[in-house]
Amino acid sequence: MMTFIRPRLRKPLRNALAGTVFAAAWALRGGNAWQLAIVAEVTVLVSAITIYVRAGEDNDEGALAGSRADERQKLLSLRSRALGWNLATVAAFIGLSIAVAVKATWWWPFLVILAVAAFGYLLGLSNYGVAEEIPADDANDGHPARSPVSH
Amino acid sequence: MRNRVREQRTQQGLSQSELAAALGVSRQTVISIEGGRYLPSLPLAFAIARFFDMTVDKMFDPDDEEAGT
Repeated sequence: MMTFIRPRLRKPLRNALAGTVFAAAWALRGGNAWQLAIVAEVTVLVSAITIYVRAGEDNDEGALAGSRADERQKLLSLRSRALGWNLATVAAFIGLSIAVAVKATWWWPFLVILAVAAFGYLLGLSNYGVAEEIPADDANDGHPARSPVSH
Repeated sequence: MRNRVREQRTQQGLSQSELAAALGVSRQTVISIEGGRYLPSLPLAFAIARFFDMTVDKMFDPDDEEAGT
């Protein structure tokens, strides 16, 4: 979808777009929230410019920011995101436990985070082939499979 | 797993950047492979071996544990 956009611009534009949506949400809130909307938009634009500048650097972070990562850098990013998501779920679990212990009404967002994590994990297993139907071992072609423990 | 990427590259008088450009990876990845800190995928291992006109098992020696994996 974003292939027509120059690789170096992809991440800054994505961040700027997400930040603008967030700033618009503040603006829609009404009242004095428009000031926070401006702060959010300026922050996001500064962040987008920073990402664009870093994308020009000759290092792993630059390659990831510039959407030109090779296989090792993609693996690095994948592992870092997995670690980030693991930490987020641990934090959500701790938050949920505390919320339940103090009888707080704000327990459910933690549960939503844990549910999304579990759903995402299952979706990943399903997407990446764990649920694939595995054909029988073709070494037994034409013969019924024998258990290694049955003689 | 020891590999002969650095040895072959220097023999051919190539810089890490030139090899990286030829293989379509970053210079940092060539550095990591040469240092034994990153094991390339099978397609990249074949690309490296072909680039130096060697076989994969000559380029990457699993029995030699001198360098890290």
